[in-house]
Amino acid sequence: MPNIIVLAKQVFYTQDLRIDRTNKKLVTEGVARVISESDKNAIEEAVRLKEKLGGKITVLTMGPAQAKEALREAIAMGADEGYMLTGPEFENSDAHATAAALAAGIRKIGQFDVILCGETSEDQYSFQVGPRVAEILNLPQITYAVKITLQDGKALVERSLEDSYETVESKLPAFITVSREINEPRLPTLMAIMAASKKPMTAWTVADIGLKPNELGREGSLTEPLRSAVATGERKRILIQGEPKEAADKLASTLIGEGVVKVT
Amino acid sequence: MTAAEKYDGVWVFSENPAVARELLSKGRELSGKLGTHLAAVALGENVSETSKELISFGADKVYAVQDPSLKAFEVHPYSDVLTEMAKAYRPDVILIGATRSGLELAARVAERLKTGCCTECSKLGIDPDRKCVVVDRLILGGNITETLIIRNKPQIFTLPKGAFQPLRKDPNRTGEIVQVQPKTAESPVKVVGRKPKQFAGVRIGDAEAIVSFGRGLKKKEDIPIIEELAKTINGVVGCSRPVAEDLKWLPIDQYVGLSGQKVAPKLYLACGISGQIQHITGIQNARVVVCVNTDSKAPIFEYADYGIVGDLYKVVPALTEAFKQLSSHK
Repeated sequence: MPNIIVLAKQVFYTQDLRIDRTNKKLVTEGVARVISESDKNAIEEAVRLKEKLGGKITVLTMGPAQAKEALREAIAMGADEGYMLTGPEFENSDAHATAAALAAGIRKIGQFDVILCGETSEDQYSFQVGPRVAEILNLPQITYAVKITLQDGKALVERSLEDSYETVESKLPAFITVSREINEPRLPTLMAIMAASKKPMTAWTVADIGLKPNELGREGSLTEPLRSAVATGERKRILIQGEPKEAADKLASTLIGEGVVKVT
Repeated sequence: MTAAEKYDGVWVFSENPAVARELLSKGRELSGKLGTHLAAVALGENVSETSKELISFGADKVYAVQDPSLKAFEVHPYSDVLTEMAKAYRPDVILIGATRSGLELAARVAERLKTGCCTECSKLGIDPDRKCVVVDRLILGGNITETLIIRNKPQIFTLPKGAFQPLRKDPNRTGEIVQVQPKTAESPVKVVGRKPKQFAGVRIGDAEAIVSFGRGLKKKEDIPIIEELAKTINGVVGCSRPVAEDLKWLPIDQYVGLSGQKVAPKLYLACGISGQIQHITGIQNARVVVCVNTDSKAPIFEYADYGIVGDLYKVVPALTEAFKQLSSHK
């Protein structure tokens, strides 16, 4: 019966994020905070493995106070308990500092056979935290899983690469990141969400996981953000005027002139 | 700083030879600005031909590492070798191709070297004061560009496929090939099988022209309007995320966007696509972007080189006709 730890991050629902064009600011007001998509697939996969094999699912997250909602949702989906790393020291951690914090949290949780998380987070899109945690804990790293079988103390995993599916085998414990195509996460019922509030959820501070504040946040990060700005395209933005036929003729000649279309 | 502590040189690595050539092109530019050499790392069972090829595409030096255990990419042996080499030769910068394999390699190696890594960089240059690499990357669904540097050495970056044109091959170019004897350990993860992906649709990742459509196309039966244009310009059909994920009109590997296919065609023609940032992020490396949309306020016009405000049901067939006319005039 496997002990599974799932790492999950709460993020803004990125599809609803937009830029206010008058003041060129990101609008986050009213934008929902959700579990990052492929992390949700990781929770779902853990629940399916538990349904088959039994065992226990522990969810670990790092974030501000409202990240508790993510734990509650994970428990409503079928996880047994949740831990969150929270406090000002954790803020502004890069992939390295985040991985250091999560690895320390995992060590404190203790027992596990498998650690699962999404292949990347919806907000940062760095693809780094999973492999970095795996490295810190010196675990076999299996990324982009689309099928996971646990048997005889081993994991058999099908991975999705650009042009192929690769099947790999590893001893447990192992660290596995999952791709979105692995499953369709369930929607927890309202009853399950209410019941989840009663399940154990524990908040840990930096001292609880035995790290020093300077190992986290901006100070503990290895990358340094210099500035951020509203993203703008660097395109020509030429409007081609005229009735459909006229505009289409102009556009076709322009594109052939630019050498980006070869008509045969 | 003593000589032993000095970090020097720009390295490139990709397990994909086409991507390695692209990285060499960007690497030349960076090594020129930093006043240092450009080296490529070749890992494999036999890399003598690859090494010569890397020199002909711009490398000053190739670290050639040959071992049967390095025959195909596997993250554990490749990380072991790259980490040991970085410790021994101390490059200032390592550029890694942002393939699925390259991404997991970059993160694992960076953590073992306790250094920073920036993945999915959209822009990469040199900060003249700090003499280090400075990158832009898109975060928060592509709404925000973050500009970053890496505090430690080596500085590791991943760069997407198709973002740079390779240099012209120069078979007379000379360079140094350094043979490196790898220390390999048995990988804890064994590959037991590989099967090629059956692409349900067309492969849009390698296409030179893509005609893509979004919710502006009203019904599935109308897709031939798009296909006809794509066929005329020797291109393929792509779509936006909702068309594949919600409507399921096209296979999932045919949608373009941050979470879907990131494409780098010569021409990207977006029909009836509003231009959600999620979509725009997938077409950053397209050479020319064209859009057709009824709504002149749609964000796609901000991210296009050429735009036509109009009904795709009229404009797209007119475009197909226009290209056909131009080709028959030849």
